[in-house]
Amino acid sequence: MRRQWYRLDNAALIFPAVMRRNWNNVFRVSVTLKEQVDPAVLNRAIGDLRTRFPTIFVKLRKGFFWYYLETVDQAPEAEQDYAWPLTPMTQKALRKCCVRILYYENRIAAEFFHSVTDGTGGMVFLKNLAARYLTLKEGVEIPAEGDLVRPEEEPKAEETRDCFQLCGAKKTVSRAEENAYRLRGNPEEDRFLTIVTGILPAERLLEKAHAQQVTVTAYLAAVLAEAVLERQREEPGSHRRRHIKITIPVNLRRIFGLNTFRNFTLAVNIGFDPALGEYTHEEICRLMYHQLAAETIRQRMAGRVTANVDPQRNLFLRLIPLPFKTMVMRLVYYFSGESKGCLNLSNMGELRLPETMAPYVERFDFIIGVQYSYPNNCSVVTWQGKTYISMIRGIRDSELERLFFSRLVEEGIPVEIESNGR
Amino acid sequence: MYCIYCGVKLQDNSAECPLCHTPVVLIPGPPRKAAPYSDRLPQAEKQSGKLLLLGLVTVILAATALGCLIFCLKTYGAVSWSGIAALGIALGWIWLILPMWFPRWRPMVFLPVDFAAAGGYLLYLCVQTGGNWFLSFAFPVTGMAAALTLAGVAMMRYICQGRLRLMSLLLIVIGLSFILVEFFQHLTFATPMFVWSLYCVTGFCLIGLFLFAASFIPPMRSWLRRKFFF
Repeated sequence: MRRQWYRLDNAALIFPAVMRRNWNNVFRVSVTLKEQVDPAVLNRAIGDLRTRFPTIFVKLRKGFFWYYLETVDQAPEAEQDYAWPLTPMTQKALRKCCVRILYYENRIAAEFFHSVTDGTGGMVFLKNLAARYLTLKEGVEIPAEGDLVRPEEEPKAEETRDCFQLCGAKKTVSRAEENAYRLRGNPEEDRFLTIVTGILPAERLLEKAHAQQVTVTAYLAAVLAEAVLERQREEPGSHRRRHIKITIPVNLRRIFGLNTFRNFTLAVNIGFDPALGEYTHEEICRLMYHQLAAETIRQRMAGRVTANVDPQRNLFLRLIPLPFKTMVMRLVYYFSGESKGCLNLSNMGELRLPETMAPYVERFDFIIGVQYSYPNNCSVVTWQGKTYISMIRGIRDSELERLFFSRLVEEGIPVEIESNGR
Repeated sequence: MYCIYCGVKLQDNSAECPLCHTPVVLIPGPPRKAAPYSDRLPQAEKQSGKLLLLGLVTVILAATALGCLIFCLKTYGAVSWSGIAALGIALGWIWLILPMWFPRWRPMVFLPVDFAAAGGYLLYLCVQTGGNWFLSFAFPVTGMAAALTLAGVAMMRYICQGRLRLMSLLLIVIGLSFILVEFFQHLTFATPMFVWSLYCVTGFCLIGLFLFAASFIPPMRSWLRRKFFF
């Protein structure tokens, strides 16, 4: 296959610029099968998908003005999983391949450098990888429906495009907003990332959300915001109440009706100002729901996409050499990128698979890495009636997770906990 | 098996609750299913390439400095210009190469070292050229620059609230420090007073006073934030 290259999409530009030696933006999707994973078959499945997913099997390269992605000549080999997921991808590793395929017992995991794709794109790839693996291993005939594609087909042009360039508005929406309260804690010395996964019955969670007349995402954001607020109250010497805001990555594919395997997500911050007074649980739920609804209308999203895309199109900025651009982007990210929200809550929603494939799959997990300056993050995925909420932290203190999950228990939702803690 | 404190259900083989660290009362038996994550540890990134490059640059710089000294000694029988060159190379090494040996650039550690090295270099220049401008000019000016730079860096790194007000005060202090610089210049080189410093003072103080006033007026503060948002 001829080596191809791709410009980074608009959302992907920031990630190589802000990465550090010991931190970069990586996320993980994993599928747990009913049988133990055979690495040899998994490697064959990876090889079969290499040409079908050219924007996934890429390496990060440096140009004079921009970073870009180049297809790899050889698919990466599956390797055994780590004790703690989402270890940063080193610059050297990114120059080889921006995706890592891991296996452990029954689980196949894919970890992506965020410049390659977003959670939705990553999950589409993982479903296809699992489908190909099951076809090779078990001989299952899995139809190419839903997110599944035929591995022997040529990639479609729409799958590799930068959709941010297609959905702008004529006017931009300002990104100015109040800074949020910053969660803190004692960092783990060896960058160990603790993951606490709560397993909840999806139906009960939905019931609770509907009882408040809100969506599951808004409901979880409200409970999370309450936990963060409690955390702020507990902080010694914190007399000043700062904004509590949860960052919600919004999948733009549904909003604009466009499909791509690359990044097409935009984050919105929803929350409240605790300095204005006390809020009840119901009020926080309503606040979260209405803010999320107001922020995610198509026109507003288009305006925000334009605000992001405009600098990328500016001739003067385009002509600045990459090292200077990187410096500027780092500054922008440091002062504004991570200061507007307390933590991310990324809800991938309910996953579906073809009927012939679903019986082979035990569960799915979705974990996003921690940001550089805030130590906690939360991601959610639902599969066959169970919601898996993964909370990740780079600090020792587990108080936020305790507040969040015990609040759900208080609400009457049974929570089963598992962790990689040591 | 449930945590008696949080009320969450725990894994069968848990020794304690991962949320509140309450120990499990039952004696944990052998795990009934595999641990959720592998025990393979990630390997630390090898630094040998970077260290090798830094070592190579250090050796080249040291060889250049030594070469200058030897050439000078052989040619003139004394260390003349080569001392300035060698110490200049050492200063460059301290400023640019030394921080790279460490995993993180810590400004509150490296900046004082940088200013101390600059001060030492200026002292050598002063002694070498037979001047008497170090104590009355270079030393106080370098010290002032170091103090103001460190104050600015500390403010940006460690203080989260009231930055605008502090920044405005720092700008005023920087402005006023130019008078001192001109005063030391006047003392040392007998130049006339208030030739250029007043322009700097006026500029810095005006900006500082404007920001200071703006920090007390919420609409002005939010306008500044909106207009200069990046």
